[in-house]
Amino acid sequence: METIIQVQDLSKSYNSNKVLNIESLSIPKGQSFGLVGNNGAGKTTFFSLLLDLIQPTTGQIDNKGIIVSQSEDWKPFTSSFIDESFLIGYLTAEEYFYFIGDLRNISKADVDELLKEFEDFFHGEILNQKKYLRDLSKGNQKKAGIVAALIGNPEVVILDEPFANLDPTTQIRLKKIIKNLSAQKHITVLVSSHDLMHVTEVCERVVVLDKGEIVKDTMTSDTTLKELELYFER
Amino acid sequence: MPTLRFLSLEWKQFRRSSFFEKGIAIKILMLLAGIYFASIAILSGVGVFFIFEKALPGVDPFVSINNYMIYWVLADLALRYFMQQLPVMNIKPMLLLPIQRHSVIRFLLLKTSFSFFNILPLLFFVPLTVVLLVQGYQPLMVIGWFIGILAISFSINFLNFILNKNTAAFYVVMALLICFIGLQYFVVFDITPYAGLLFYSFYELGYTVIFPLMLVGLLFRLNYNLLKSNFYVDGAVQARKEKFKNYNLEFLNRFGTLSTFLKNDVKMITRNARPKQVLLMSFLFLFYGLIFYTQETYREMPAVLAFASMFVTGGFLISFGQLVPAWDSEYYKLMMSQNISYKKYLESKWLLMALACAASFFLCLPYIYFGWDIFAMIVAGASFNIGLNSFITLYGGALNRVPVELNQKAKAFSNTQGFNPTQLLISLPKILGPMIIFYVPYKLINFNAGIIALALSGVLGLVFKSYFLSSIEQLYQKNKYKTLKAFSEKK
Repeated sequence: METIIQVQDLSKSYNSNKVLNIESLSIPKGQSFGLVGNNGAGKTTFFSLLLDLIQPTTGQIDNKGIIVSQSEDWKPFTSSFIDESFLIGYLTAEEYFYFIGDLRNISKADVDELLKEFEDFFHGEILNQKKYLRDLSKGNQKKAGIVAALIGNPEVVILDEPFANLDPTTQIRLKKIIKNLSAQKHITVLVSSHDLMHVTEVCERVVVLDKGEIVKDTMTSDTTLKELELYFER
Repeated sequence: MPTLRFLSLEWKQFRRSSFFEKGIAIKILMLLAGIYFASIAILSGVGVFFIFEKALPGVDPFVSINNYMIYWVLADLALRYFMQQLPVMNIKPMLLLPIQRHSVIRFLLLKTSFSFFNILPLLFFVPLTVVLLVQGYQPLMVIGWFIGILAISFSINFLNFILNKNTAAFYVVMALLICFIGLQYFVVFDITPYAGLLFYSFYELGYTVIFPLMLVGLLFRLNYNLLKSNFYVDGAVQARKEKFKNYNLEFLNRFGTLSTFLKNDVKMITRNARPKQVLLMSFLFLFYGLIFYTQETYREMPAVLAFASMFVTGGFLISFGQLVPAWDSEYYKLMMSQNISYKKYLESKWLLMALACAASFFLCLPYIYFGWDIFAMIVAGASFNIGLNSFITLYGGALNRVPVELNQKAKAFSNTQGFNPTQLLISLPKILGPMIIFYVPYKLINFNAGIIALALSGVLGLVFKSYFLSSIEQLYQKNKYKTLKAFSEKK
């Protein structure tokens, strides 16, 4: 399988306090990749480095042949939803989707086309609400943010804690969507979560981070969930 | 002792506020600014008696002061509408704790008495009262008058919270203020002697002081009841949700690729409290010229007039532009991980500023009344604004790394956003630029040469637009991580 994301000697320190240290990690194209770990394990730090929102102390990340901290050419095919700061609070969901569409050169009609696929996922709570995103509930904000990350035919989608704050029905639907992305559209999906069950169900591969280091890297099988539970029970 | 506990919380909030986390230079500057305003208040409190004595000989200055008191009341109300907010949100954590509601509310209301807006009048009226005593007015009655005025000041304080966020009330107050001033100016009707009767009666009759005292009590009670009945998370404690407004912005599509950002900025400005405040302020800038053009003294100082002329059309440009990109700070991570061109982004901001400047220019057409010389200056000032000032301001904005809370009104003096030494340095060319560009050719050749130089400076700036935008873009690139970090810091 062709590798799309290649991490080399990556580390991030704040005043000699190393928060992330990954010697090497490669993610093949189309894989659904799960990242788990306790608070402070470095999940969000890793994603922020991947999006060039912070600078690595050493090493580099290669996204489809582009070193993310040196060129911006990875942006057209990479999209993400990390937290609410990716939403524009004073826009309605539609306006936000069209804005993202505009930035990614997708016409209104094409955005509408894409949104149709997510009618179930929205559960009638996102579109035509006459409400600004800042006034939506946390869960609904998340729904809007996740779908916005799928606009513009991205090849790499990064979602930080996508299951948090979602209601059970939406969680189940989101799992289907993520599986679908990697299985049918060959999109590389990177997901982080605190919920071991979700991750093992959705991802082909699970990596465990602890204090910034990779401590476990397995392809999911029937026994993965048990193994992970055992690991975190310590 | 909940009150003591509250006080200690307040003290912590004060000590740990962003103000104290600023650098020493800023602290000194802020302190100086504070001293400056305080001494102005004290000095005018001392001086106002003598000023009236001189200006209106033969009239008891104290009577004149009372006559004009009505303007203070209206202006104070209008100012507070902008600046003062009831700090309700802080009490949310208190809702769950075993504290009596009435003590929380009472503390909250009493706390507002110590706001800057109540202290400033005190700094004015205490010296005035001392002067009155020295001048031989009836001591007991003067003190009665002082109590009356104090009561009115506090009434304004509490009235403001009842009217809070009521735009209609604000416009009524503004309309009254403008109406009274206008009628008096054109000698149609003078409200001041009638209003003065009331204020003077605090001194003359004394017992009328009971009215303002009752008013304070009543307004306090009203506020208290209003808060008490709304003391729920879905009541007063809740942040207000705004009704959805939509406009057809398709006409902006003519600006092509810039229209994406332009449309977004229009929505940003119309749907958030802070930028709306900036918009209103910049509208007030339009009247800046009235201060300068009407005074004979400034007529002889064309460099000062050049500065004023820059300001009348540049209000929005300056106050909006200095906070680019901070306006987008709430979702800056999104912007930085999206496929956007900084240059397009900057150009769209510049276009918005230029359009606002052009719009202000049309609103300035009535200034023709002051003659073609003045008008030519405004034209030249607008040209300078669009062609040069816009880029200087954007450059300064790129150095500003204090995030903006879009839907929070700026508070007086706690608002140090965009206030740092670099900002001060960058504002120098904004202020001195037009003066120098005008003054040198004016001195060397003549008035028209000055005007032409100022207008040409703007045109020249437009020629180098692409270069300016590129260099600001480089600044964005260079500071990307720093800016991201600063913008994601919680306040």
